[in-house]
Amino acid sequence: MSQSLRPYLNAVRYSLEAALTLRNFSSQEVERHNRPEVEVPNTSAELLLQPMHVSRNENEQVLIESSVNSVRVSIKVKQADEIEQILVHKFTRFLEQRAEAFQILRREPIQDFSISFLITNKHTETLKTDKLIDFIIEFMEEVDKEISEMKLFLNARARFVAEAYLGEFVY
Amino acid sequence: MLHLKSHNLLIQKTLSEAIEANSNGTPLTLDRIVSDFDYTIFHISNQEGNKTILLLSIKTKAWVSIQKIDANNGLLPYLQSKYQPFAGISVSQSAEPGYDFTLVLDLASLTNESVVESSLLKTAILSFPFQLAFQESFELSKLPAPEDGSSIDSQKLYNIQNRDDEQFFIKASNDRVTVIFETIFQDETDKILGKVFLQEFVDARKRNRSIQSAPQVLVSNEPPLELQSFTSSRNPQNDASRRFITFVLFPRHFQTAELQHMSISQLTLFRNYFHYHIKCSKAYMHSRMRYRVDSFVKVLNRAKLDEDKDGLENDNQSTRRTITGRKMVY
Repeated sequence: MSQSLRPYLNAVRYSLEAALTLRNFSSQEVERHNRPEVEVPNTSAELLLQPMHVSRNENEQVLIESSVNSVRVSIKVKQADEIEQILVHKFTRFLEQRAEAFQILRREPIQDFSISFLITNKHTETLKTDKLIDFIIEFMEEVDKEISEMKLFLNARARFVAEAYLGEFVY
Repeated sequence: MLHLKSHNLLIQKTLSEAIEANSNGTPLTLDRIVSDFDYTIFHISNQEGNKTILLLSIKTKAWVSIQKIDANNGLLPYLQSKYQPFAGISVSQSAEPGYDFTLVLDLASLTNESVVESSLLKTAILSFPFQLAFQESFELSKLPAPEDGSSIDSQKLYNIQNRDDEQFFIKASNDRVTVIFETIFQDETDKILGKVFLQEFVDARKRNRSIQSAPQVLVSNEPPLELQSFTSSRNPQNDASRRFITFVLFPRHFQTAELQHMSISQLTLFRNYFHYHIKCSKAYMHSRMRYRVDSFVKVLNRAKLDEDKDGLENDNQSTRRTITGRKMVY
């Protein structure tokens, strides 16, 4: 792991630990509703906390928006060129289509980010919070690795295919 | 399966079956449609009233444009002369209705070689413009070379429309034959993956010394200079995703009939090979992502509280059990 990645991930980890202090909170506006306050248009400022923005560079950022009963974590995955863009888009869409397996995954990322997670007090009650943070950190590590591996594979395959085709012309 | 084969396996199998059945005295009743790349369709059927004679018809997009290429209508005589030497194959004078060209196969005298040749029917038809270009190049090379070292280009540009909005061109010169493929990409992803692949086609020859004698490959978004004289019938909608791939064949690639055949069968499959491998890498990435999702789910599941264990160890109050030890559910 590169030198600058470790502090970045650490910053995200500590910010998440600070943010994931959630409690059950019924809606103040609608009777018998209990909804993630970070997701709904909110008039009561006391329910929302200051969002935290952790940024390694302009291509790799994490936005943590917290509220009294829910936290929304959005990750921008590194996309250096158009191939990586496509791979990231494909990969995140693939994950989002399987969001039910992930519980905390949001089906749509928020604007300007590649993928979003929504953690509510329900999740922190049924899942171990530190393991949940581990998951997000590991996810960030693995996604980068996966994307660069896929890109390498694609180039290697293209090279092999081209050489195999042209090799047929060598008499 | 790295390389696509230029013969059609299903035709070979069908014919072998038919020959086998015929030699056993029980000729098959056949009416089979076989498809191939570029919307090519073959039809294998019995001749009316005679089960020992088979008709092999082909319908291909390229037929119309190939026929137009030669003003002397040389396509049919060319195919006739191509299939003449093989036992049991004769060319039908009129094609089956709905098809472009028909071969008549006599099961009794069909040899293995002629089975292979008839399965190469599509390549045989596509090879006609190539043959003309090779011929022309030979003739041009006999002319005295210009002193300034430039090449003598043929005036003719062969245009073969082998798909709805895709085509390829052949142009002969005294020292080379240029084959230009035009291809479009269906979606954005294909376009970008295609770019990676095409770049490798261009670079492969420079990088790998063992394939340096392969044809030179050039890629461009704009029609190359050779196509300037060609008035296009292209659909402007697809222009953004259109790519031109140029193969420059040197005389060493078409010196003998055997080399010509090998070059032609490789080149006619280029578009299919190229797009096929783009699809393959997409499929591979898909299965890889599937695996990745599983491993992520496993990591997330580690976060789940193991309720059973916690219940037993921490407080026995929360899990009530029956006298047989079963858990009570309520």
